[in-house]
Amino acid sequence: MKCGFCGREIPDEPGQEKSCGTCPGGCRKVHCPYCGYANPAVPGFLKRWSKKKDDKREDES
Amino acid sequence: MTRSNKESAGGDKLILVGNPNVGKSLLFNALTGAYTTVSNYPGTSVEVSRGFCEIEGNRYEVLDTPGMYSLLPITEEERVARDILLAEEPYAVIHVIDARNLERMLPMTLQLIETGLPVMLVVNIMDEAEALGMSIDIPLLQEKLGIPVIGAATARKRGLKEIRAAIAAFDRQRRAVFGYATDLERDILKVASTLAGEYRIDRRAIALLLLQKDGGVEELVRATEKEAGYAGVEAAVNAVVFERRSDLHLRISLERKRVCKGLLEGVVSQQGREGKRFAERLSDWTMNPWTGFPILLVILYFGLYQFVGGFGAGTVVDLLEGSLFEEHINPWFISVADRLVPWYWLRELLVGEYGVLTLGVRYAVALVLPIVGTFFLVFSVIEDTGYFPRLAMLVDRIFKKLGLSGRAVIPIVLGFGCDTMATMVTRTLETVRERILATILLALAIPCSAQLGVILGLLSGVPGTLVVWSVCIALVFLVIGFLAARLLPGEKPMFYMELPPLRLPQLQNVLVKTLTRMQAYFLEIFPLFVIASVLLWAGKMTGILENLVSAMTPVMHALGLPGEAAAAFIFGFFRRDFGAAGLYDLQTSGMLSAVQLAVAGVTLTLFVPCVAQFLMMKKERGWKASIGIFVFVSVLAFTTGWGLNRFLLFTGILA
Repeated sequence: MKCGFCGREIPDEPGQEKSCGTCPGGCRKVHCPYCGYANPAVPGFLKRWSKKKDDKREDES
Repeated sequence: MTRSNKESAGGDKLILVGNPNVGKSLLFNALTGAYTTVSNYPGTSVEVSRGFCEIEGNRYEVLDTPGMYSLLPITEEERVARDILLAEEPYAVIHVIDARNLERMLPMTLQLIETGLPVMLVVNIMDEAEALGMSIDIPLLQEKLGIPVIGAATARKRGLKEIRAAIAAFDRQRRAVFGYATDLERDILKVASTLAGEYRIDRRAIALLLLQKDGGVEELVRATEKEAGYAGVEAAVNAVVFERRSDLHLRISLERKRVCKGLLEGVVSQQGREGKRFAERLSDWTMNPWTGFPILLVILYFGLYQFVGGFGAGTVVDLLEGSLFEEHINPWFISVADRLVPWYWLRELLVGEYGVLTLGVRYAVALVLPIVGTFFLVFSVIEDTGYFPRLAMLVDRIFKKLGLSGRAVIPIVLGFGCDTMATMVTRTLETVRERILATILLALAIPCSAQLGVILGLLSGVPGTLVVWSVCIALVFLVIGFLAARLLPGEKPMFYMELPPLRLPQLQNVLVKTLTRMQAYFLEIFPLFVIASVLLWAGKMTGILENLVSAMTPVMHALGLPGEAAAAFIFGFFRRDFGAAGLYDLQTSGMLSAVQLAVAGVTLTLFVPCVAQFLMMKKERGWKASIGIFVFVSVLAFTTGWGLNRFLLFTGILA
């Protein structure tokens, strides 16, 4: 994913989502290693939805 | 020869490096075809692809490294990519860059050339650059850089023949040298001359990385020079760093930018248009104080005041809270509880004044969620355009007056999203003084997104209160920042940030981000709002709430507020937005005049941060500093509220 603040690519690897430990119910943010910006961690169903839309667009083109 | 025999035969190494999404993997696949393996780099979870190819009878091993922005690594992926460059013996390092972003990517080419590694440059995605009207003079760039440069569009298989030919004809001995400003060169030489060991990369590059405090290179030098030799290197580095203070990083970065600008002169031309594109001009306007602040005001007015305040807090909340909950859902809950629950205490817990259903669920679903939902929508649109880093550059000038470096803009801007996270980000600031200043300002005058949304929704219904609130919060921010900067003396480092391009927001991105934030927010607040209702109920049943409210009543009266407002302040500490929602209830039930609304809004915004932010302050700054900030912020909030009430009553503004 791209950081919403600095626009750099955040490596998509397990354990990358470093938690600050204060969000009840666990961390739902992906902290950008370059600028520290907390990007929202997209839940599975939205990821699947956006991927489906992307795939459809690719099929059409 | 079988495949396994070929692999064991190895070959000269070609290492592909570059930013993510520049087409490295496409080039890798085009060069290697089916002969590839993917495995984790030793000791890490980062995957590195290896493959083989044959060019003009010579066999090569090709390595596709993870994306990297600079030789100074921040992420594990970048560290792996850099380690590959330091550890492997490449025949050629092929730097792949995006033709559309030459100016942003060329500084890494310079870094690679500085290392003394055999570099060739592939300017990829030429087709899309040409579609944008860009024309790149590849031979001129090659002449200026002194290394092979090939224009390509690997996705369209363009330039592959030329890349293969360049690899076959590659002259490893040819080297280009770029000079920085004399004083910087003197510093680099001072450090480089202390290095006595053998290194795979150039001493000058090692010196530059040491001056930028690269931990990995420090380890390498320590191991190579041994303790006795390393002491001398360390002393030279520390002397330069001390002399230059914290602007060294920035200085090196700006020098590279300057060299790149010179290299690109005459190389890139834009056809079909005069001067800059509209997006580039708009980008400049957003950062120029004369045009940037009016643009900011327009965004705040239409984005926040009209959309969040007018539509979110007005139309949507009226519909959900006023029509749905007050007229249908709550009366139904109450009638069911009256019929089925014989116990007073349980009825109170479920549907009473502070009932879980009538207060907790209503606050979370009908009041706060629509307001923060519309706020998140605007926030995601602004975020997707790339405006935030420009806002950081815009306010940088003011920040310098407050004794903060421009870097502190980042946590402060992030504070409008979540102050807790922003307090954590203050650790990226270079001096303790800056960290403390930024923490104070975050705790005091920066409302988080949820609180900002609810406060805006609350105040936008009464014209004038929003102006008073904005002026008051801005004044407190500036005065406290200005005074704190004078009381805490220290260095004032410079700020520099690489800006991503300004672009039109993508509907899908905006929707995904908004829904993600709303889901996360709801999951976070819903249980807390239920717990807060239970605590309020318990406080009411035991009489503790009454005692607390009584204890705070004189303070509320001193602020000119009704005693009932005490509950909003008490629970504002647990959740900033819960406190603001409490005020919303008081306002809609007609218990607050315009003056009281403005005073309550200002005091609650300045009042102590929520418990999560307080815990983060303790984690980052320790007990002593965080309790000190807590007491200071609380006293200042109530003093400001008291003063504002007097001022508004005396002047008759908002009367």
